[in-house]
Amino acid sequence: MGEVELSCRAYVKMYLHACLFPRCSINGLLLSSSSAGGAVCVTDCVPLLHSHLPLAPITQLALTQVDVWCSQTQQRIVGYYQANACVSDSSPTPCALKIADKIAEQFDSAVLLMLDGSKMSPDYRVPPIVMYERKDSRWTLKDKHMIMLRQWEETRAIAGQMMESGDHMQLVDFDTHLDDITKDWTNQKLNTKIAELASPANGNI
Amino acid sequence: MASVSEMYDVGWEEMRDKLRKWREDNFRNSEQIVDVGEELISEHGSKLGDDIWIIYEQVMIAALDCSRDDLALTCLQELRKQFPDSHRVKRLSGMRLEALERYDEANKHYDAILQEDPTNTAARKRKISILKAQGKSTEAIRELNEYLEHCINLLIVFPCDFHSYGKAAFCLEELMMTNPHNHLYCEQYAEVKYTQGGLENLELSRKYFAQALRLNNRNMRALFGLYMSASHIAASPKVSAKVKKDNMKYASWAASQINRAYKLAGRGTKENKCSVKAVEEMLESMQITMS
Repeated sequence: MGEVELSCRAYVKMYLHACLFPRCSINGLLLSSSSAGGAVCVTDCVPLLHSHLPLAPITQLALTQVDVWCSQTQQRIVGYYQANACVSDSSPTPCALKIADKIAEQFDSAVLLMLDGSKMSPDYRVPPIVMYERKDSRWTLKDKHMIMLRQWEETRAIAGQMMESGDHMQLVDFDTHLDDITKDWTNQKLNTKIAELASPANGNI
Repeated sequence: MASVSEMYDVGWEEMRDKLRKWREDNFRNSEQIVDVGEELISEHGSKLGDDIWIIYEQVMIAALDCSRDDLALTCLQELRKQFPDSHRVKRLSGMRLEALERYDEANKHYDAILQEDPTNTAARKRKISILKAQGKSTEAIRELNEYLEHCINLLIVFPCDFHSYGKAAFCLEELMMTNPHNHLYCEQYAEVKYTQGGLENLELSRKYFAQALRLNNRNMRALFGLYMSASHIAASPKVSAKVKKDNMKYASWAASQINRAYKLAGRGTKENKCSVKAVEEMLESMQITMS
């Protein structure tokens, strides 16, 4: 299996999602706007749930809606992320595996990303993520060296800064959207802010 | 007063075995347990080995039943010495406080346990029974709700077997009974039924999504749920023409309500256009599979 690249925007939004709901399990979808083949570039993510039970109807609904949006915006769903409420356990739950399987049906190189809650304190040095890929119908740990986060220091700084300034309160996930459908789960406002904070010299964030 | 061993001509081993049998069969013959247990502990304690701890627990509970607080306290103190940090022993402390009607202190004990271990169902149950004993039925119901919600969460996030969703549905049935106006429980129940699958469950889920909407017509999850369940039923080859027709009606009603809600929400906000379009297309794409 090939390399996986995680963009600043995708990482920061996942991070803010986890910060916004520290005592809940949260999950979301990983998207890519690059063409298939070669490295998988996760360029964006859509936060899905935080409080609602991971049952079929809302999950199906979210997957379908995001799918439709992706086809309208030349993106595709390439993975799934989750952070468990119980920070000491970052292994994928049965629900995570099910959703990841579904995604893998449509995209061979799909990835399953678990956020490790125990490593998310402000002084963490390495990205608090554990990634799985599909090998022989099973989800196995991906080689850490095949996971790239360009400009990691900068990404980490942006994530921290936005947390400090309370930007995570503006993050909208699908759950929040269903509670108030005027809220935008594509999080355009946050995307703009992340792009502004990213170094202007860096073209490809 | 003659001792138990004298009265019944039994040795200490038989007394110990009797206590074990009563434990295993869950007998609450507290007076007998107190008589046999007290003598066994005081006369033959050193012979019991590690069994003595579970006997202390058994005798303590029985002593509370018989208002023998002196005996209960003795047993409790021995257990505390041996197992200083145990939640199980803390729960016994709480039970003793309950028996003495020192409810506030008992609650503090249980809260301390739950602070360290939110999954401790025994502590939650004790809190509920305290509220009932104090006649605080509203609060008891609230605690019961929390307890059930917690169970549901565990059952759904970590379904341990085929029956986990069924058990979650049962918890939700309880919640709906004690909270009939709560649209969220209705809607969650509908979701569990939908997830369980099969025609019968889908029809139930549709009914409960509809009920949730009656209780709160702005519950978007219920609206989408109604749309999805009705669509699936209408698409099923096993239903009669009438059922198909009815469900297509429900589905198209739900679809129009959804579209309307999104159009209203999208007014004035440029950023919402993507959602509105996404929903429209989604509803269309689902309809194709239906026919």
